[in-house]
Amino acid sequence: MLKRNWATGCAAVLALGLSACGGGSSATDVDATSTLDVNVHEGDFAQIASFTTPGGVSVWLVDEPSIPIVSFQVAWPGGRSADPEGLEGLSQALVYMMNEGAGELPSLEFTRAMEDQAMSFGCSNGRTWTSCSASMLSESAEESMELVALAMSEPRFDEQPFERFRREQDVSLARRETNAGFLGNEALQAALYPDHPFARNVTAESLEALTREAIATQKDAVMVKEGMIVTAVGDISPEEFAPLIDSVLAGLPETGSVADVAPVEMSDPTAAPIVVDLPQPQSRVSFMAKGPSRDDPDFYPSVVLNYTLGGGGFESRLMQELRVDRGLTYGVGTSLSGAPLFSTWSGGGQTKNESTGEFIEVLKSILAEMSETGVTEAELSDAKAYLTGSYPLSFDSNSKIAGNMMSVRQQGLGIAHFDQRNAKIEAVTLDDVKRVAETYLSPENFTFAVVGQPEGL
Amino acid sequence: MKMKLGLAGAFLALGIAATAHGDAETAAWAPETFTLDNGMEVVVLPDHRAPVVTHMVWYKVGAVDEAQGKSGIAHLFEHVMFTETDDLPPGEFDSIISRNGGQLNAFTSWDYTAYFERVAVDRLELMMELEAERMTDLIINDDPEGPFISERDVVKEERRQRVENNPGSLLFEQVMAALYEGHPYSIPVIGFMDEVSALTPQDGLDFYTTWYAPEHAILIVAGDVTGEDVLTLAEKTYGQIPASGIERPDRGWGPVADLTESETIVYSDPKVRQPEWDRYYISTSYRQDADLAYALAVGLDAMGGGLTSPLYQALVEEQKIAVSASAWNFFSLHDRGLAGLSASPAPGTDLDTLEAAVMGEIASILEAGLSEEDISRSGRLLAASAIYGLDSQSAMANTYGRALSTGASIEDVMEAPERFRAVTAEQANAALRALFVEDQHHITARLLPEEGL
Repeated sequence: MLKRNWATGCAAVLALGLSACGGGSSATDVDATSTLDVNVHEGDFAQIASFTTPGGVSVWLVDEPSIPIVSFQVAWPGGRSADPEGLEGLSQALVYMMNEGAGELPSLEFTRAMEDQAMSFGCSNGRTWTSCSASMLSESAEESMELVALAMSEPRFDEQPFERFRREQDVSLARRETNAGFLGNEALQAALYPDHPFARNVTAESLEALTREAIATQKDAVMVKEGMIVTAVGDISPEEFAPLIDSVLAGLPETGSVADVAPVEMSDPTAAPIVVDLPQPQSRVSFMAKGPSRDDPDFYPSVVLNYTLGGGGFESRLMQELRVDRGLTYGVGTSLSGAPLFSTWSGGGQTKNESTGEFIEVLKSILAEMSETGVTEAELSDAKAYLTGSYPLSFDSNSKIAGNMMSVRQQGLGIAHFDQRNAKIEAVTLDDVKRVAETYLSPENFTFAVVGQPEGL
Repeated sequence: MKMKLGLAGAFLALGIAATAHGDAETAAWAPETFTLDNGMEVVVLPDHRAPVVTHMVWYKVGAVDEAQGKSGIAHLFEHVMFTETDDLPPGEFDSIISRNGGQLNAFTSWDYTAYFERVAVDRLELMMELEAERMTDLIINDDPEGPFISERDVVKEERRQRVENNPGSLLFEQVMAALYEGHPYSIPVIGFMDEVSALTPQDGLDFYTTWYAPEHAILIVAGDVTGEDVLTLAEKTYGQIPASGIERPDRGWGPVADLTESETIVYSDPKVRQPEWDRYYISTSYRQDADLAYALAVGLDAMGGGLTSPLYQALVEEQKIAVSASAWNFFSLHDRGLAGLSASPAPGTDLDTLEAAVMGEIASILEAGLSEEDISRSGRLLAASAIYGLDSQSAMANTYGRALSTGASIEDVMEAPERFRAVTAEQANAALRALFVEDQHHITARLLPEEGL
């Protein structure tokens, strides 16, 4: 069966005029070594090889020989917000269908073929990115990559899995009606950015309007070489990886069409909490305000401030006051999105219905105090010590390294980011923190949504 | 302090080498083991990819060890372990670790309680000092307004968040009560709300003095260390604690009994939008009967473990009456574990129809028997998942910790991939047929929207 896969996948790649399709024996037969220009970045946390393959694929790779696994991720600009109006769910259908059959292999046979290699391949998306990833055993990397190549070049988009996708989505639509997380988010969307593409949700009507033709069109609009980035970690060298990834991606269309998304302009905050009734004993409180974008000078001071506010586990003021001292919650926290299109400072926690009023009141008083006085010298130094000292923990597995590299590439931060990041944290001063606390943390900036049957609001 | 490195360690290492596991998946993380003089077991899992370690202490005590009416004390006590000690004022345990760039947490199950820190390797000794400190010198504050009481409130919020806000979790509590009648697995680890509300600081102290001792603990260190590094530091810290010498109380319950009748438990809730159907069987565990457990694990996976399985293909792809259908096991327990079937109906299918279709499909799969190809594919996939698991330092530490604290050995963990691969179709089919035999009792759970919806 694999012989047949290879022949099919290879034919498709050859048809596009690429040389990376290595004969019947091995993809590494292609002599990439003479042409591959590899830059090696000797970073503090990882040694990253960056190169562009003969097929024009831009790759960051960490060669990690200690475990016999190879994993890669590929990402393209354009995610859920790229769905045409009225076709919400289209890009979700696309990522669902990408591993549901390719070439002459319908869904079942394709999945079996992946199982035969003990490999995995699948795609996913967020608001503004679409990505696919694969993990395989290094001993069968070539056979595994043949399957991925087939999926990328000749996805079948069959009726059977497409109908299954719709049935599953129907169930999801029903489930989300009582999902507190979804309901809270929906309330914040409606209050703060109702007309932005990020506020569009899948509906029964938009699901009904999806077609397999639209999915194929969306693939060619999004999964293209322009803007495409690849990261890989595993038991493999750049010279071995280049022809394999070319067989997967070099044949994609050069350019596509993804509509630009404008930054979110949030409406003014709502004075009173928005309440969504849900019959359960505990309320879910979420809150959101504008935050700094990661390219804003306020960003790193805000990262440091957020640790003390609600990012630092038990050490944060919110956890100390609401959990440790008052026993009002199992967990409460805050985070910064930093996203240039939608930079927020948001948070959430859960408390029994009876104490929801107190929970929000105390939360607001902590925000007010911090916005007025910032943090103490000791809090600043504790925050920096944790944020810099714990950074190596983000690099202790292949999957974390691959994920971090992808995130850095998506944000355009540059290959030296990992090495520079701690210095940016260290450079934050008490005055910086005080300034951003004043700018962002006033409780009036935040809109609250409460899902449950809260009392005392 | 005496070095007792051991011969135990050396022999075990030899034993492992002799068991012919030349495979890459076992070579990468070859564990080293020691036992300290006080009886504390030590397992070292070297991984030199990054200069960090995962440091865990597993106590062989869990919710099964709770006294009658004190449900939830094992877990509440785990929370209390973070409050204060003789040398560490309130909050300091967490603060010190955070200031050193460490991350920490803990978790409690029926059979074990585990505490962990993840930190740069040069802070490992500090982590050991801190864990050793709270192994012996914890302070349980009995102020009626104090930290024990506020932590009890936190646990009640945790119970609301995990259980009472979730209809499926409420139903699962009823199912476990029916499955394990007379055995402590019938009691939820987090405890019943009324019993948790009544727990006192004295209950915490009793639990601590009875169960927390080095001879009931296992140290696991995974990461950028050698066995020698860890032994030296462990002797300096944990090795200073004398064995408690306290006899563990007789656990006071018998083996898990077979079910004497089948029962269907129905739970309706206004928040349920999608019905669910599950059937549970009292089965075995890797600890109780490894041969049977491996045969069943592979057989259940081949029958209904993934999208290519005959159960999923029949119900979801062909008949289209389900959106999901699977067969599964829960064998990582000390006593007998569970095997089961789960399915969620496609819109328009009622649970009677779904149940009949699932059981009909199981019967025809068993009648035809799973093929050697089906079984070897599942065996290889389960073995491969062990290779993928090598990527995560904390997953490796967890795997060994869970195995050792539920009565398995290092060799059992290392042999797992080979044992998955060695299961034959004959063994798997026989094990499945015995599990699903016509007169086998089971508990069925039906989660439904409120009447009239």
